[in-house]
Amino acid sequence: MLVNKKSFVLKSAMLIATGMLLASCGSETPKDDNLSAGTDTTAAPEPTAEVEDVSYSLPSPLQIASIFKKSGLKYKDGITSTLKDPSKYGTNLSKALNLGVYSADLSYTVLNKQNQEAMNYMKLCRQMADNLGMGSVFDQGNLSKRFEKNIGNEDSLAYIIAELQMVTDMYLDENDQQQVTSIVFAGAWVESMYVGSKVYEKGKDKSLNSKLAEQMTILGSIVNALKAQEKKDPAIGGLIADLQGVKDIYDSLPSVKDHPEANEDTEKEMSLTDDEVSTLTTKIEAIRTKIING
Amino acid sequence: MKKLFYTGLLGLIFVYGFTTIQTTDNCDKKTLTASCKKKMEPFKYDSQKFTKVTFQKKTQQLEIEVPVFIGEKYRLVFNTSSLPKPVQVNVYTKDKESKKREAIYSSKDLKAGENEIVFDAPRVRKLYVDYDVPADSTNQKLSGCVVFMVGYK
Repeated sequence: MLVNKKSFVLKSAMLIATGMLLASCGSETPKDDNLSAGTDTTAAPEPTAEVEDVSYSLPSPLQIASIFKKSGLKYKDGITSTLKDPSKYGTNLSKALNLGVYSADLSYTVLNKQNQEAMNYMKLCRQMADNLGMGSVFDQGNLSKRFEKNIGNEDSLAYIIAELQMVTDMYLDENDQQQVTSIVFAGAWVESMYVGSKVYEKGKDKSLNSKLAEQMTILGSIVNALKAQEKKDPAIGGLIADLQGVKDIYDSLPSVKDHPEANEDTEKEMSLTDDEVSTLTTKIEAIRTKIING
Repeated sequence: MKKLFYTGLLGLIFVYGFTTIQTTDNCDKKTLTASCKKKMEPFKYDSQKFTKVTFQKKTQQLEIEVPVFIGEKYRLVFNTSSLPKPVQVNVYTKDKESKKREAIYSSKDLKAGENEIVFDAPRVRKLYVDYDVPADSTNQKLSGCVVFMVGYK
């Protein structure tokens, strides 16, 4: 009788366990444990069931580089960031921001056929991603190898970078790390604006001026995208304040303040005076220095 | 008696397991992304957004802000096939708080079962994608996801 009772309890427990196992199937989001390693919260968020009413879909660093290229942005030697050992960056926030900086430099060098520089930035992006625990995205579809194989072919390299962006976006979403996407893009945007303004300083090209002004119109979306993730990652508060500072300067410029319709009119291209570009450049350069110094 | 008990217990366990699986979103992101990517050609990939939709007793409006650049051509691709119930996709020129916003696309006239949307955007300063999620009073905790991809030329 005792044996029968035990057997009954055992069978019941096994059945319940089977049911629980069945119930839990398919509900797990894939997680990369490596991403939890770090001193700040950038790469280690708590999964959340909360659905935000408003979210943001920010462009890729490649698109920004492509827009600048179309406006006539030439390659200028020595203005991109210097190559630095990724392990020197102390926090995951700093690593994510500099991954963005290197992504922007990668796009700029690829679109300007600077093959050796492009190879160096690709390797650095890989190392930085490894440091953030997401290096596996470079192995998907042999992206790293394909990049090396196609060096010299601008179109193929741009296609590979776009594919890399796609697998990275998917990886970060699957691992509930959407805030990293916004941080990486913020770093890329600062670097793109820095490169664009440095080239503008030399040639004062009118078309480049209007593209710099146009880039400022997406800054509000970047700030809002970061703000939406601040709860998940309070370490980004300083970055938000820095970028908001740039936006405040832009909004107060006479060319912007006195012509609010310029931001609405889809046929009119916005342009800034040289002094206004210089004011913005000074602020952006200060933020960029802060980022690359880690 | 014992047999009856076991049968009942087994039944309960399977019902519990089945309903839990039903309420969990079945969002195969890789497949959905690949499908959107195909529809994106010849535009270049720019970004994508997965939105988890959990149906509630009241209607919801989920919005995605998409900053765009003047002079660029954009294609928006959506895949709603993992949703258990249809959600209306609308694209506007301004956000949901604005009274001046203009609808430039709506999926309301799509045929039942059509769950892939391709929309080439006109020249605008910004795009706002809204998902109008209908109410669900069945208490089934239905959920799924929408994949939205942006491409440029």
